[in-house]
Amino acid sequence: MRTKSFLRFEIIILLAAIGLSVIGIMFIYSSAISSDGILQNNEYIKQIVWVSVGLVVLIGGSFFDYERLRSLSLYIYLTLIGLLLLVLVLGEVVNGAKSWLSLSGVGIQPSEFMKIALILQLATFLEASGSKYSDFVRFIISLIIMAIPMGLVLIQPDMGTAMVYIPIYLVMAFVGGIKKRYLIFILATGALVIIGTIIPAWDIFIVTEKSVKLAKVFSEPKLLLIIIGAAAAVFLLSGAGFIFLKKRYFYWIGFAALIIIVASGMTLGESNFIKDYQLKRLIIFMDPQVDPKGAGWNVIQSITAVGSGGPGGKGFLKGTQSHYRYLPQQSTDFIFSIIAEELGFAGCLLVFVLFLVILMRSLFILLSAKDYFALYIGSGVVAMIFFHFIVNIGMAMGIMPITGIPLLLVSYGGSSMLTTMTGLALVSSIYLHKYKY
Amino acid sequence: MPDKFQIPKTQIIFLMVVIVAAFIFYAINLASMQIINFTEYERRAKEVASRETTILAQRGEIYDTSKDYPIVMNIPSFAVYATPGELDEEQKEVLKINLNEYLNISFNDLDRKIPADTTGSFQPVELKDALQYEQITYIAEHIEDFPGITWQSKPIRGYPEQGSISHVIGYVGNITSEEFQVLYNKGYDRNSTIGKSGIEKQYDMLLRGKDGSRMRMVDVKGRRIEEDAVIKPPENGNSLVISIDMDIQKLCEKALGDRIGSVVVMRPSTGEVLAMVSYPYYNPNLFYTDRSKEEYTKLSLDQRFPFLNRAIQSGYAPASTFKVIMTAAVLQEEAFPVDRTVTCHGSMTLGDRTFNCHKLSGHGPLTLAGGLAQSCNVFFYTMGVEYLGVDKIAAYSEDFGFGNYTGIDLPGESRGLVPTPAWKEDVYNTVWVGGDTMNISIGQGAMNVTPLQMASAISMIVNEGVAYKPHILTEVLDQTTGEVISEVQPEILHTSDISKDTFRTLKDYMRGVITDGTAKYVITTQAVDAAGKTGTGQAGYDEQWDSWFACFAPYETDNPEEQIVLVVNVEAVNEWEWWAPKASDMILQGIFADQTYEEVLEEFDRRWYLIDLRKRQQEAMEAELAESEAETSVEGLQ
Repeated sequence: MRTKSFLRFEIIILLAAIGLSVIGIMFIYSSAISSDGILQNNEYIKQIVWVSVGLVVLIGGSFFDYERLRSLSLYIYLTLIGLLLLVLVLGEVVNGAKSWLSLSGVGIQPSEFMKIALILQLATFLEASGSKYSDFVRFIISLIIMAIPMGLVLIQPDMGTAMVYIPIYLVMAFVGGIKKRYLIFILATGALVIIGTIIPAWDIFIVTEKSVKLAKVFSEPKLLLIIIGAAAAVFLLSGAGFIFLKKRYFYWIGFAALIIIVASGMTLGESNFIKDYQLKRLIIFMDPQVDPKGAGWNVIQSITAVGSGGPGGKGFLKGTQSHYRYLPQQSTDFIFSIIAEELGFAGCLLVFVLFLVILMRSLFILLSAKDYFALYIGSGVVAMIFFHFIVNIGMAMGIMPITGIPLLLVSYGGSSMLTTMTGLALVSSIYLHKYKY
Repeated sequence: MPDKFQIPKTQIIFLMVVIVAAFIFYAINLASMQIINFTEYERRAKEVASRETTILAQRGEIYDTSKDYPIVMNIPSFAVYATPGELDEEQKEVLKINLNEYLNISFNDLDRKIPADTTGSFQPVELKDALQYEQITYIAEHIEDFPGITWQSKPIRGYPEQGSISHVIGYVGNITSEEFQVLYNKGYDRNSTIGKSGIEKQYDMLLRGKDGSRMRMVDVKGRRIEEDAVIKPPENGNSLVISIDMDIQKLCEKALGDRIGSVVVMRPSTGEVLAMVSYPYYNPNLFYTDRSKEEYTKLSLDQRFPFLNRAIQSGYAPASTFKVIMTAAVLQEEAFPVDRTVTCHGSMTLGDRTFNCHKLSGHGPLTLAGGLAQSCNVFFYTMGVEYLGVDKIAAYSEDFGFGNYTGIDLPGESRGLVPTPAWKEDVYNTVWVGGDTMNISIGQGAMNVTPLQMASAISMIVNEGVAYKPHILTEVLDQTTGEVISEVQPEILHTSDISKDTFRTLKDYMRGVITDGTAKYVITTQAVDAAGKTGTGQAGYDEQWDSWFACFAPYETDNPEEQIVLVVNVEAVNEWEWWAPKASDMILQGIFADQTYEEVLEEFDRRWYLIDLRKRQQEAMEAELAESEAETSVEGLQ
């Protein structure tokens, strides 16, 4: 049986992960070379250590039966909640957020590991609650499981990382059979909140000619309150209509009204704690020229780096945008920009393909999963990697707002490397343990 | 697990589709950036990292006709630049404060050159020039206080010959936005230095050369990348040789002294201007000091207009010098027989107006020669009104070049004016009357001539009918090798139809002015035989007149090259000294005896007018001394 396990070891994901990690190390090294050709730091050495540890976790974790985590998930989840609370008290401030815990010289980011804990706890709950609770209760409890760590990370404040929890939740809930209308409710509310936040900022920063009247709706608290009131009236009337007249469409009218109520309320609340620079970052991808030396600088330099890479790239260590330091945060947020600049379209496609291999392979593995627990864990991991990929690379290409989340496996950073390797280990474990004995 | 486990295939396939679609979308987006719009991004990447700096071309030097040493040269100095695009707001603040403190650049200036808004240009902006080596070393040693500052050698103009030559040479300055708008496609940029007046302006294109450039790559902090810069070497400007003879220039300058007026010395056979003095003049070196603005303002506000080159930019009534042109007209038209006389009784009446002669007792009977020699007004009134008429007077004036540009190679020449009935009708809407003809017959009224025009007219007499265009530039040199690139050839400005006989007679008559006429006692030099005409113009003062002397010398020669034309004008605003012929006497002595002004003074020690002058100066000094003594004693009492 053990020999059989070895034979079934998930080699494709491992190779793709190694490939991405090696590209990562190369370009973390590249990013540290200054215009004078001098190595500025030894991040790439540290990254080699993280990758090595990560590969041990990936390989070792594959043989660890994921099913044992079912009973451990709650404790892991609670431990990390504890760490997130601890970080708020003892954390070190890096880049304006209290997200690091320093453990005898090694900094760890609990919010990264929380992703795995969240995946495990959601998987455990979704599986266990499958028929125990009503759909609605299942939806609410799983939402709370996600909302607690998300709230704690938002307090740090690290909006980028907190955002990742949402797609993890949505995809797991989607696969976990939570009613679509609940998920649509979340998506629609989220979209409305984002629109409500961005439009006033867009009105302030981009529309310079004259203010757009409609934008006032979102920036005037009084108007928002009126909207909430009106929507609440509609909600109550349609509720009454549904109960007494038993007409189906009243349900959907009420549903829409509720979305408007919640979204307006959140927009109202959000405007109190969202900072100006965050707003600016959010809208800057629409037009980086609004602030070319400030918030727009990173985007402009990154887009220039990516585009100027061309089909074949400028060659390893030959990128001008990166080595002349026009490009900021090259080893973390904007690592893809250097890869694009120095390896060109060909190199980017390689990165795309490696990620696509990991994601598709993982989904194929899930098609033969032996239980819901495995299915949910796997979809959570896929959601996490996919979301990071879309946001990070979209940001480098200037089609996503700057949120400062890394490109998993490639960007510099120990916590995210170990988190991703753990996630992949779980998927490998699912593959290796896909038969019940 | 009550539910039987079932793989939610639809959901997973849905996820797969979403993922693949997203990857395809991203790959297409990436291809559009890296393949379709590659060149545009490549250009932007180059643009963000490359900096072009100008390598200034060395401006040409200017030599006088002897070519011994430059009268305009380049003095090593530096200019500092900032590149606004490389600075963030905080750095800009630091830079402005330190520049204001150390280099004394006003905040106004700095705010204009380094705008606070974030869209700064990557083109270096010149902040200040004329900096000493020590100032640059200070900045280099304290570079952290001066973020983003660069510098390069930018020699300033040095004018070792100070004095009246400033009007000829002019000066240079930073290009103004108005000048730039006109010249932007002629190789000038916003940091260009440009000639502002005189030869510096006239021949700016020759002098300035062509700036080169250095294209290099820099990193985000503006540090150079170790890579070969692409260098386009500058083409240095050409040096110029001008016809001014500094010895004569100095002589004229000193002979005129501190009297508002001008002197022109020309070589009639070529049109070369040997000297051109206009008092007051200015010191262009002051414009390259810290106090340049104040100096400039002070000079601009000076009531005596030191920026005005009176030799070419001021017109005066030619007064009696015009009688030379009248005489030429009478001779050529044979309007009045040369042996017939007109009797002067000291005045002449036309209608109800009486026109006086300067000799109120009257000159008695005078021929044309005598009329010119004695400068008799009554004689020329008669000629003008009875024998020539305004049309002929105007025609001859224009033939001698009055009322038209001489075309000298200096900017801002004045055209002067020859009044005609049509002109008067046009400007004043009144009819030309006999009195007007009387007035222009003796060179008064609206007639307006620049000293250079006068010199050009006399030149035509010397050349017996040919006037060469007056010019300053004689040679263009390669600045480095000193090789002559081109020489300016004499150019005929005008050929007159007046006969050579007329000119010869006229010259004889002009000689008579010196030997037997109004200038008999004032042109005393034995160094050369001159011929000329005095002029004393009314300019609205009771006891002061505008003093002219226009002459040529030697009177007769086999070598036209050695002949010169000299015109001196001393404005009526000066204390009346009848100085123009006196200055001319000394200048002629200096030129033809090859003496400096000081040597002339020594030689002329016992000349009556110098004794007069010294006596007056002595009195003035004593008066001043008494005044200052009175002041000191008052101070002593306090």
